[in-house]
Amino acid sequence: MRLELGTFPVKDIVFGGATRYDAGQLTVDRDAVLAAVRQDPRIATAELEIARPGESVRIWPVRDVIEPRIKVEGPGVCYPGICGRDIATVGEGRTHRLAGMGVVEVSSVNWHDAGGDFVETYLDMSGHYGEMYPYAKLVNLCLVVEPDTTLGEEIKNYAVHKAALTVADQLGEAVRSLTPPEREVFERTAVDPSLPKVVYIWCVHSPQAMSGSPTAFCTTTYGLTQLTPPWYLHPNEILDGALTGPYRTAFAMSWTVANNPLFLDLYRRHGKDWNFLGVISLRTEWTTQTEKQLMANQTAKLAKQLGAQGAVVTWDAGGNEFIEVIRGIQACERLGIKTVFLTSEDDATDGAPTMLEPLPEADAIVSTGFFKNTTLGVPDAPAVELRGSTIGLHAGADAALPTAGLLPPPWRYDDHYGFNSLSCIE
Amino acid sequence: MISAIYNFALTTGANRVIRGARIEHVCGDPTLSPEKDYAFGMRIVTTALETLTIAVPGPTLFDPMAPGKESAHAP
Repeated sequence: MRLELGTFPVKDIVFGGATRYDAGQLTVDRDAVLAAVRQDPRIATAELEIARPGESVRIWPVRDVIEPRIKVEGPGVCYPGICGRDIATVGEGRTHRLAGMGVVEVSSVNWHDAGGDFVETYLDMSGHYGEMYPYAKLVNLCLVVEPDTTLGEEIKNYAVHKAALTVADQLGEAVRSLTPPEREVFERTAVDPSLPKVVYIWCVHSPQAMSGSPTAFCTTTYGLTQLTPPWYLHPNEILDGALTGPYRTAFAMSWTVANNPLFLDLYRRHGKDWNFLGVISLRTEWTTQTEKQLMANQTAKLAKQLGAQGAVVTWDAGGNEFIEVIRGIQACERLGIKTVFLTSEDDATDGAPTMLEPLPEADAIVSTGFFKNTTLGVPDAPAVELRGSTIGLHAGADAALPTAGLLPPPWRYDDHYGFNSLSCIE
Repeated sequence: MISAIYNFALTTGANRVIRGARIEHVCGDPTLSPEKDYAFGMRIVTTALETLTIAVPGPTLFDPMAPGKESAHAP
């Protein structure tokens, strides 16, 4: 399976008469793109706005950030299976991407109506909250979209997420027939057999238990959000968006999944420092002891069958999902697979462990920082221009709050994939 | 302590741990009829109360559905 990834760096976005890419500038035909979005009768309102790095802009509520990717050669479509898209197996041929930008899905639609999973993220394009996230460094095209309010929650979610993908597709079409300024070929070539065999165990949240629905909006594997046993994915499938965000943590957006530096580094060093076997993706938040242990066992078994000698493990959630993740590490170690765990840590203020279930087998841990949302204090009230709703649900407050002025700190800023430079103090 | 993730309760040091149903409904099962759900929940809670009378040497798991704990109302 060979994939050529053509990169078109975006330095700026402007609105203009026709959607086109020219030497780093993306011109967007606002009317044409919005017309495509509004073709869906479930969409009540849709607007496009641009937010640039350093601007005094707050975007709220951010449901997802998507990097436009389009399939130029080979089967299927990028971001397969989501909102009715083709589910052909992806990862072959050529894909073009618009780098350095995001399509930001801005909508007050909550993920589901079972409670608990509030859309939490607001994105400041300047200030110290903005600095924590990779998205504030992007040129962002914000789709501010609201669905027909008479629809059910799942249909609303489907409609607004599909709308954001429609925008991304429209932008991608602008570079379909262009020659990419940067090209990179990804292939799991035959390598020196003495190199260690390494697998990436990439755990992603499923909303099924929280929402009570197997099709609630969330992270997907080929569009599926339900609890499923571990998947084996070729790394090229990841590059074509077979695994996406978002979950409600700031670092679990589709953009971060597509640009995960740990994953890209594992792949780029294939054949040099190790033999990269690919990705095992485990859906998390199983709700009995038995299910959690079963998934841990099966993940380790799959890694062993692939011939793994080492495994790098990440997850994108908090709370009880930790059990299947850490038990998966334990199960790997017991099968002789050495593991490294990249994770954030919990708040230890009252003497609780920084990890829910510390197990002795998890003895190689890289911390991406201490997770306590009040540590950073309440952000300054910037003279912000708002892109989005005037109120938004905030998980930290468990309520709808006005978006301008003082806000509670972001609910979750733990870094799942090693983007930022926050670290721990012993 | 009634817990669906009972191993974690045991390693945390709870002395009497009762195996619950699921994280989202520890003492019940919404897939059952109301009568059976009630009986199922009562069985778990009754087991929990009974264990308060039992001396344990340390963290111990009690399974309301284990053989010997059968009742006419078991789902």
